[in-house]
Amino acid sequence: MSIVGRPVPHDSAIGHVTGEAQFIDDLTSSKNELIVDYISSPFAHGKIKSINSEELSLLDGIVGVFTCKDIPGHNLYGPVIKDECFLAEQIVEYVGQPIAVIAGESSKAVRNAKKQLRLIIEEFKPILTIDEAIKAKKYLGKSSQFKQGDFEKAWKESDHKLKGTFVCSGQEQFYLESQSAIALPGEQGEITINCSTQNTTEIQEVVAEALGLSFHKVICICKRMGGAFGGKETQAVLPAVMVALVASKTNRPARIAYTKDDDMRSTGKRHPYKIHYKVAFSSKGKIKGLKFDIFSNGGAYLDLSNAVMERTLFHSDNAYFIPNLIFNGTVCKTNFPPNTAFRGFGGPQGMANIENVIEEIAISLNKDALEIRRTNCYLRNNNNVTPYGQKVVNHLLPEIIDKLAEKSEYNQRKKEIEEFNKSSNTQLKGLALTPMKFGISFTTKFLNQGNALVNVYKDGTVQVSTGGTEMGQGLNTKVRQLVAEELNISYDDVLIMETSTEKNSNTPPTAASAGTDLNGMAAIKAARKIKNNLIEFASCYFSSLKKGIEPSVESIKFEMKDKGITEIYDLRFPEKRITFRDLVGFAFMDRINLGERAFYKTPKINFNRDTAKGEPFYYFTTGAAISEILIDRFTGVLKIERSDLMLDIGKSINPGIDRGQILGGFIQGVGWVTNEDLRYSDKGELLSYSPTTYKIPNIQDIPDVFNLETIENPYHKINVHKSKAVGEPPLMLCLSVWIAVKHALSFISKGTIPQLNLPATGEEILRRITELEKISKYGKKNNYSSNESEVSLVCNTLISPEKKQVA
Amino acid sequence: MRSYLILYVNGKRHKISGEYGFKTLSDFLRKDLGLVGTKVVCAEGDCGSCTVFVGRMKLNQKGGIEFFYQSIDSCIQYLYQLDCSHIITVEGLKKPGKNNFQSELNKVQKAMVDAGGSQCGYCTPGFVMSMSAMLESKAKLTRSSIKEGLTGNLCRCTGYEQIIDAALSIDVSNYESITKSFNSKAMLDDLKADFFKSVYCKYQVSWNGVKRKFQYFVPTSLKEALDFKQKNDNVTVVAGGTDISVQMNKERIDPNCILSLTHLKELEEVNINDQIINIGSKVTWTNLEEICKKQIPQFYKIIQVFASRQIKNEGTLAGNIVNASPIADSLPFLYVIDAEVELSNTRQSSNNIEKRWLKINKFFRGYKQLNIKSSELITKVRWKIPDHEDILKLYKVSKRKDLDISTFTAGVMIRIKEGKIKKACLAFGGVGPVVLRLPKVENYLKGKTMDERTFREAGNLACKEITPISDVRASSDYRLLLAENILHKFFCEWHEEKTKKKAA
Repeated sequence: MSIVGRPVPHDSAIGHVTGEAQFIDDLTSSKNELIVDYISSPFAHGKIKSINSEELSLLDGIVGVFTCKDIPGHNLYGPVIKDECFLAEQIVEYVGQPIAVIAGESSKAVRNAKKQLRLIIEEFKPILTIDEAIKAKKYLGKSSQFKQGDFEKAWKESDHKLKGTFVCSGQEQFYLESQSAIALPGEQGEITINCSTQNTTEIQEVVAEALGLSFHKVICICKRMGGAFGGKETQAVLPAVMVALVASKTNRPARIAYTKDDDMRSTGKRHPYKIHYKVAFSSKGKIKGLKFDIFSNGGAYLDLSNAVMERTLFHSDNAYFIPNLIFNGTVCKTNFPPNTAFRGFGGPQGMANIENVIEEIAISLNKDALEIRRTNCYLRNNNNVTPYGQKVVNHLLPEIIDKLAEKSEYNQRKKEIEEFNKSSNTQLKGLALTPMKFGISFTTKFLNQGNALVNVYKDGTVQVSTGGTEMGQGLNTKVRQLVAEELNISYDDVLIMETSTEKNSNTPPTAASAGTDLNGMAAIKAARKIKNNLIEFASCYFSSLKKGIEPSVESIKFEMKDKGITEIYDLRFPEKRITFRDLVGFAFMDRINLGERAFYKTPKINFNRDTAKGEPFYYFTTGAAISEILIDRFTGVLKIERSDLMLDIGKSINPGIDRGQILGGFIQGVGWVTNEDLRYSDKGELLSYSPTTYKIPNIQDIPDVFNLETIENPYHKINVHKSKAVGEPPLMLCLSVWIAVKHALSFISKGTIPQLNLPATGEEILRRITELEKISKYGKKNNYSSNESEVSLVCNTLISPEKKQVA
Repeated sequence: MRSYLILYVNGKRHKISGEYGFKTLSDFLRKDLGLVGTKVVCAEGDCGSCTVFVGRMKLNQKGGIEFFYQSIDSCIQYLYQLDCSHIITVEGLKKPGKNNFQSELNKVQKAMVDAGGSQCGYCTPGFVMSMSAMLESKAKLTRSSIKEGLTGNLCRCTGYEQIIDAALSIDVSNYESITKSFNSKAMLDDLKADFFKSVYCKYQVSWNGVKRKFQYFVPTSLKEALDFKQKNDNVTVVAGGTDISVQMNKERIDPNCILSLTHLKELEEVNINDQIINIGSKVTWTNLEEICKKQIPQFYKIIQVFASRQIKNEGTLAGNIVNASPIADSLPFLYVIDAEVELSNTRQSSNNIEKRWLKINKFFRGYKQLNIKSSELITKVRWKIPDHEDILKLYKVSKRKDLDISTFTAGVMIRIKEGKIKKACLAFGGVGPVVLRLPKVENYLKGKTMDERTFREAGNLACKEITPISDVRASSDYRLLLAENILHKFFCEWHEEKTKKKAA
């Protein structure tokens, strides 16, 4: 009986339900520990004139206040380009940007001291939107372009054309455990950081650089995160550096845990986008040519924005073959916290855009949108070349669409909805099926590597360490299953240890859905090495038991018996058996290596940035979703009545965990396309900075009927145990909900293409209903303004605690 | 009188005085007791990660005293609200075994493990507590009751489906109450001695040479409470504390003189006489919800979406009123129903309590401004239960349907006589500094017939009577649209119901 493929519970599940699973701020305080907080900019753009840091440092209970001048190493960092300061030097470029670090004996002392802050900043006018940034020519990094065929020719020759603008807002990751870190000073300047991070290696390196230490003097440890979703891929760096700085200055342990409010105000989010599109198509709705001018709102510094934009370009085709295209991608520099990774990493915005375009083609041709989707869908053997030259192979996209439409009675329900909308003047319904294709691998090639350490102990139990971090996605559970399977021992005899740079060095972030692919493979390879050592030893051992028998590794068998006991025997005389525990014990006495480290890198992948062609992805995870929604015509309030999801995730290592990933990812996406509404003051301050004002989906928001099915894919024969990555892909199935809203709106003024920004909040929906009703009544054309902003600004400012102290 | 608070946590006694009384329960649990299973995310009662049980001493039907357990958000409960109670945290749920790690999980915990109800695990203790609270209250576990019971808990990972699976898999038939793991009798016997004594505690803190005095008072009689208010002029009154505590956590206010109504049983009464309902100012939303379920179904519907179970277990109607928010969810109802508040007062050296009744719309003077003297305390709210012939509808529009502060609220009550509108009462919230009655629209409607055009026109008029602002929740445009549409919606709903009734 194989452990791989079984829905074993999350490996920390018991810890979760009993509250024993510890997160950073749950760790017991060590003697002398200091509480750390930071002082940040109350303005989106300005110049620091003065700060009374010395005065603050003399207050009761305060041990130190540190500014950029106190950083012993260098103050610049950034995951790709070092363009960001740990602590602002002269210029501040977003609200919440750290200026100083304050450390005290208690949080009360720190809170009190912060009230005595006198921070003088000369305020500059901030740039907040993409349009403003374009006007001021403020960009981050280089623009990129994908090209295929001849768009201009297709545009000129086509009878059917549309152009327009797609606008979507950002999204807060809203991991429940806020950014947090604890630093413990060691001997000779060494330092250990416990940090809630997806990227222990980066923390190690960045802390070392900030403190002017060599890398080998810094250890970063992460046991688990209380959610991350990309938000701790690069941005866990700041709190880690803050506590490291305090620990190194004071030689005392130091702890920081952001409040939710501070976390939301000062960290980056999913990028807002604005995309101008032009599409040429046939009377049947076949796309002839596409041009996308894609702009993202990157925030103040580059962070991962270029890579995010690149993934947008990679996913602007979604599941559709496009013969002629130009995709241009540009990241705009604005005065917001640097936007960063968030599940989907630019994919959702690109896919939302093309789904929007497809829906508009359908409305303009008065055809069924599913038909248009199916017409343009990638096939297996032809019409399968992506905009970047990679062929989409071994996939089931057409089958998934057809099967899902059939199973969920798309045609029947669509008719019912048409009837409903005719008869009701109080409510509106909409229905949409959207497919999803998501490329798996880091598009930055060197990140596609992982290493693992497996140690077998003398009682036959095993510890595994990888560079992968556990953020709830179930990586540790899957790795545990894979190692148990590889060694053919009980799942209970394997434990996954905390992630530490001491054991696993030079690791990539746990991101890009690739955690299990990379770390699972590395762990299997390490376990395999040990197993080979043991098999070789066992062959000698068994041959020594019987005269005249030569050692034969081929005839050594591992067999799991009841109660998780593994027995080893030689096929030639199976009656002589020893347990795994005994075998390990004997092997140790014979000086056999029982600990191995292994390395894995994803094969094949390649992408040439100069030509924008190559094979960046090892494979694709695909699926589709169909959602039915109900809108209150008077208030715009939206309800999801039913969603059916279907995915090809290969052979699942753990169906229970994968189901959780899919349903959870979908609902997280639903939040993005419906009610998660980031609102800022026109000074660039986030106004919706806590769950009171920023509404992630709660349990009442999930569809009344919610079905999930995974399908077998006989063509998929690669990757660890023929599984597929499942972390990010399901999020994008949420687009079925957003497109269903657009579908519903298309009933109000027949033939008019309804505009719909993302998210489709009640306010956005009611605005569009009112707009369309006017068109329907007065026959005006819908002149959609391309001036619509991707950032929701309110003319009303917030009095932040810092601002009160601004002279 | 005593100068200390007593509370039990997972069966262990804690005597608290001085500064400690001014701590949130979650801080006390996490930082002082090391019970870190209780998590804090938002510190404002919106995520439920800090959910624990509080058992408060109540008279049972047999006349004895027992603990009455409910789930609460521990981040917005200060210890001065929890005197003489027994707190059960997630650490207290499982039964001890041979070793700590071998202890037995309770049914909820086991179901959550098996159904994959946790991913990152940060919200999980809160969910486990809320779900256990449902079992404790012997709720039936259906998809909809589970959703209702878990409205106050946010999860970012699971999409909730597997949490619902977990709850649905629980066999509730032989659930053994968690309270049986503790020696309630011993705790109650110990507390009985203190239960009828008021608590008064004052202390002083000094920081950088600046001294600041603090005091908190937990009286056992209304008279004492009123005397305290009379004597001190900067008193912050705390009933459920579901708003005050948030303001304190977020450092928006910094009170140093607290009057906690925790032990004022006389303010927990509800009575109905001659269709007049009297609600004591300590009556929680959970209690009121139960009463309104039968009596005022329209208001019940608002209470259902208005807050989470944890909030409803602590928060009070009176608190919702004195908080004086223009989007307070109870106010449109109280406005159209012409509710009244009772304000009590006492004179020093007098044993009498003076009372006056004030119409709800006279109670508010402006944004967050009340017609109340510093010595007064709200003691009751009363209204006449609407007649069956009155058409009453209440609306709450918010970004998220449940547990969200409203963008716009409305109360509409119409009385029809002989096919004509005899009386119209309209109250809109979220469209000005206070909840507004719309006299011009009410006048317009009077004498009109119930038809769509009338209500559309009324909607247009309503927009002229209000001046909403743009804020974090919505733009003024959206609020204007809602104000315009809601009367139309009212009509359509009425019409649809009427048509249905006829058909039946």
